[in-house]
Formats: sequence, structure tokens, C-alpha cells
Amino acid sequence: MSYSIKHIALAAGIAVGTSGAAFAQEITVSAWGGFFEETLKDVIYPGFTEETGISVRSIAQPADQAWLTQLTNAARANTAPADLSLVADEVLIRGQAIGLWATLDGDNIPNTETLVDGFAKADDEGNLYAVGALSWYTTFVTNTDSSPDAPTTWADLWTRDWDGKLGLTSNANSGLMEATALTFFGGYEIMETREGLEQVIAKIAELKPQVQLWYRDEGQFQQSLESGELAGGLYYHDVTMLSAMDGLPVVSTFPTEGGILGDAYWIVPRDSEMVAEAELFINYMSRPDVQAEMARNLGIAPVAQRDTMDLSDEEFDSVGTSGNVIRTQTEIHLRESDWLPDAYLEMISQ
Amino acid sequence: MRHFKPAHLIGMYPLGMMCLFFLGPLAFMIVVSFYERDPLGFYNVAFVWDNYAKFFSSFYYTISMRSIWSSALGAVLVVLLAFPAMFIITDMVRRWQLFWIILLLSLMCLSEVILGFAWLILLSESSGIPKFLGWVGLWDDPRSLSPSFAAMLIGFITLGFSLVALMFYPQMAQRDRSIEEAARTLGTSPARVFIKVVLPNYRTAIIGAVVTMFVYFLGVFVMPTMLGRPQDWNMTVIITDKAVGDANMPLGAALSVIMLLFTLVIIGALMFGTRKERQS
Repeated sequence: MSYSIKHIALAAGIAVGTSGAAFAQEITVSAWGGFFEETLKDVIYPGFTEETGISVRSIAQPADQAWLTQLTNAARANTAPADLSLVADEVLIRGQAIGLWATLDGDNIPNTETLVDGFAKADDEGNLYAVGALSWYTTFVTNTDSSPDAPTTWADLWTRDWDGKLGLTSNANSGLMEATALTFFGGYEIMETREGLEQVIAKIAELKPQVQLWYRDEGQFQQSLESGELAGGLYYHDVTMLSAMDGLPVVSTFPTEGGILGDAYWIVPRDSEMVAEAELFINYMSRPDVQAEMARNLGIAPVAQRDTMDLSDEEFDSVGTSGNVIRTQTEIHLRESDWLPDAYLEMISQ
Repeated sequence: MRHFKPAHLIGMYPLGMMCLFFLGPLAFMIVVSFYERDPLGFYNVAFVWDNYAKFFSSFYYTISMRSIWSSALGAVLVVLLAFPAMFIITDMVRRWQLFWIILLLSLMCLSEVILGFAWLILLSESSGIPKFLGWVGLWDDPRSLSPSFAAMLIGFITLGFSLVALMFYPQMAQRDRSIEEAARTLGTSPARVFIKVVLPNYRTAIIGAVVTMFVYFLGVFVMPTMLGRPQDWNMTVIITDKAVGDANMPLGAALSVIMLLFTLVIIGALMFGTRKERQS
């Protein structure tokens, strides 16, 4: 393999540099817990250990914001709970703003070349601090027994009778606001002002009689959807596809306005002492063949360029969409973070 | 100058433990509640009243009232159910008493999450009570009974029942039955004996149990999120959301301090009320 020489040289360098501990090299990698983390640990990480000799201790991390709080607390104590973490873009931006991430050496991660543009994140001085890991879609999911006709547009949430059995997340940052803005207000512009955001929230409030569960816990939604307790709602495309493959009566639909796309990045906490090993790891995870394996096993959308991977068209289509895409307006959510979550929570809890 | 005697040193131990595990963290929480929130980061050291101001300018106030209401209702219901139950149990033969006590003790070993999950299944449409009622023909269109306020209260009761029952046990098991018997021989009906003789005897214990449960339910997190609707979420849920979810420690700390004050005022009023009543 063409990268191997560089890898070996780098690994050898690390081995010499840390001579005493050379045989017990281990990095701690955290990812969102559950099936996701387990699959990474069982299917993806062993390949890295095989090639580099560095073993991976995989740990499950909680939901984004809770994890950011833990990372911040750890940084205050000058420790790192993991050498590598998978974070969504909101955590990425907030962590970068308060200097939580280590600077990476781009030369040690040549595989960023094969990634889709924009997935190598550098600060204003050009220092690399994060590399894209994967993308995921949140879509309109339905239980095929309760609602045989798959929805076609996000407007179906409002126009169809769901028998009071919808499940939506209680989080303002789920993408539902963006989907609503796009479907009913012609674009994201309305989200620029508070008055506009209030209009969007008021539109979502119209759904309340149809909503049985405003979920905080994803597991509860998934279980309720699979059992038919819920007829439909907003959920992850990848998990739904995997459930459907297991024979459960669920389907994930990309509405015409698009699925909601989220990105996850690899970051190295500032206080990690394994930055060089972490760079090796990120380089491995960015490789097109590893990206393809992740798409096949996890159902997530790869961040490597389409033509570098050996995914068939069918495989590629099952993990993503070539159609429209809805982007969470993270900047707006961050800017209004003192007000928006409260306004949203107030709407659902009244 | 007086010298410390060993007895004083021993007395320092509980004080030290209190400071280390309770007063220290509490003081830190109060300090943090005056810090300024940094929207991108965590917090900046400062002295501002904003976090407290937020409580009165928003719906946090409504949520506090709601959580006080649901905790109080839950506490009263638990005591209403557990008190007579324990009264009946302590009148049973020793072997049955032991059976119930062991059962109540083992109930206490179950975690909140397991109890919540069990109720979630029992109250769900696809498996459980609604499905059963539909099957026997008592309910035409069975619907899931959770999330709802009632489901959350059922969760509260499951959590508190064994605790309250066991709180009453020692006093009830050793009670002087001759007073009740005297009342009975004088021709008082059993129900009247219970209301006129038994209840007044246990007033302090009952108020103590209600207060304990009230404070306990104020801090419950899993039952409201698992079995309750967003309308039923209590302050604990919101504080967790703010402190951990939004990484807004100062606001979370300020809300906690306010809840603590609320609790202290309510407990104080109850204590004061009962003491005054006894003195008069």
C-alpha cells in the first residue's frame, strides 16, 4: 500500500521516541455509545491495530453537549478523558472557541486529500484541528404497519393524520426547525431574526396534538417506533436502515426538501499525550477503503470522495442521498443559545 | 485557653464530613451561580445576578411550581397508600410480616431506570395493560397510557412506596394495641378507631414521611423523563438540561439554589406548623 512506508517510518519514530512503552501502546478512542461504538470497536478498529500495532481502547461517550461539558471539565484539570473523540459540528465549534482541541500536523494525515472538501478543519492561522469522520442523515421515519404510505415531503408531518402517534426530539437543534423553515418559509433566511425563529417554533407547535413522545432518549423512540407504539417521526437514517434490514417494520424516507445532514469530526483533546498516534489513527480512518467499510457496517454516509471508494451505487444510495440536503444552521443555534433552547422547550412543555 | 478534649475531636468528625461532602460542594454551587455564562465556552468568573433574574423572567418559575405540585401530590399519595398497607401488615402473623418486609426491601434494590422501564412496557399500547384491556373487550381503541402525568405519578409511587412503608414499620410493629382494643370494646367501629385513635398517634411520623418523600420526588430525574410528558418535566430535568445539556453551569447552579431555598421554606413552614400545633 502506498501509505505504508510513511506509516512505518512514523510508527518507528514513535516507537523509538517512547522506547520504554513501545510494546504497550494504546490510544483511547471515544464514540457515541451503543451499537455505533460497539461496531467501530469490533469491525473497524482491529484493522488499525493490525497495521500499526497500536491497540485501541474504545469508550462510549454520552450525548454531544454532556460530552462537551465533560471534556471542558477535564481540560480544566489538564487531563483528557480520551485521546480521540468523535464530535458533531456544534461541539467542534464550541470546543475550538475555548481552545479544547490539540493542533494536528497535517503532514501526518495525508489521507485528508481523499476527503470531500471542507472536512479538514483549520483555524485562521492554518493550523489543522479536526478531520471529518463521517456524516449522518436525520430523516422522516415511519412504521410501515401504522402508516403504509411513506411520506414524500416534510409537510406530511402537518397535513396527515398521525393518530397522535408522532415522535419528535425535544432538542431544538435536531434539524426540524431547518426543515420547517425550508418547507413553509422558503428557506433558512427566516431563522436570521428572533421574530422569524418564533414563527418557525409556532409552526412546529401546530404539531403538538399529533405528538405522543417528545424524546430525549433515542433508544426510547427507536423501541417505540419498532413496536408500532409510534407511527412516525424524526430519527437517524442509518439506525432505521439497520433495523429495517433486521426485518423490523420501519422505513426511512428522504423527503423532497431533503434529509437533514450532520457531520462528525475526529478531534484530539488538548491534553492528550498521544497526538502522534492519534494522527496515525485519523489517517487510517480517513482512508477510502475504511470509509467504505464504515458505510457498509454502520450505514453512515462516508466523507471520502465518491470516486475514491469501491462502494456500489446501490450501497452508496442506501447510506445517503443524491438529492437535496438540509443543513443545520449551527451558527444560528450557537448565537441564540441563551434564548432558543428555552423558547423551544417552553413551546413543547406548555 | 481551653484545651480540646478527645470528645471534641470526635465531634469534629461529623462536622468535617459535612463540610467535605455537603457544605463544600454547596458553597461552590452558590459561587458558580453568580458566574457569568460564556455562550461558546463554559463560564467566566464574575459576580452577576443574571442567572437569578432569568428564573423570574421566564417559564422556569412555572416549571418550579409544577414540580412542587407533582412532588407534593406524589408524596401524599405514597403515604396514603403505604400507611394503611403497613398497618395491615403489622397485624399479620410473624411469617407473613417477614414475607412482606423482605418483598419491600427487595423492591428498594431495583433502580429507578428498571422500574421506569417496567412501567413503560406495562403502560404501552403494544404490550401491557392497554393491550390486555383491549383483548378482554373493556377498551375498544386501546392507547398507550404513557407518557402522561398519571404514568409519572405511578412511577413516583413505585419509587417511594417501600421506603415509606419501611419508615413506618418499627413504630407500628411495636405499637401499644391496648388503646385500639379499649376503643373497640367501648363500641367504636374499626374505621372510626383508625381515624380517631390510630392516625393522631402517627401524625408526626406521617408528616415526616410526607416531607421526606416530597424532597425525594423533587430530585427525581428518570421517572419524569421516561413516563412524563414535557409538561410534567420537573426542575431537576430542566437543571440537568441547562447544566449538562447546554453547558450553562451558572444558570443550572442558580436554579438549584432557588429550588433548595423553596424546599427549605416549605419544610420550615411544615415543621413550624406542627410544632405550634403541639404547643397549643
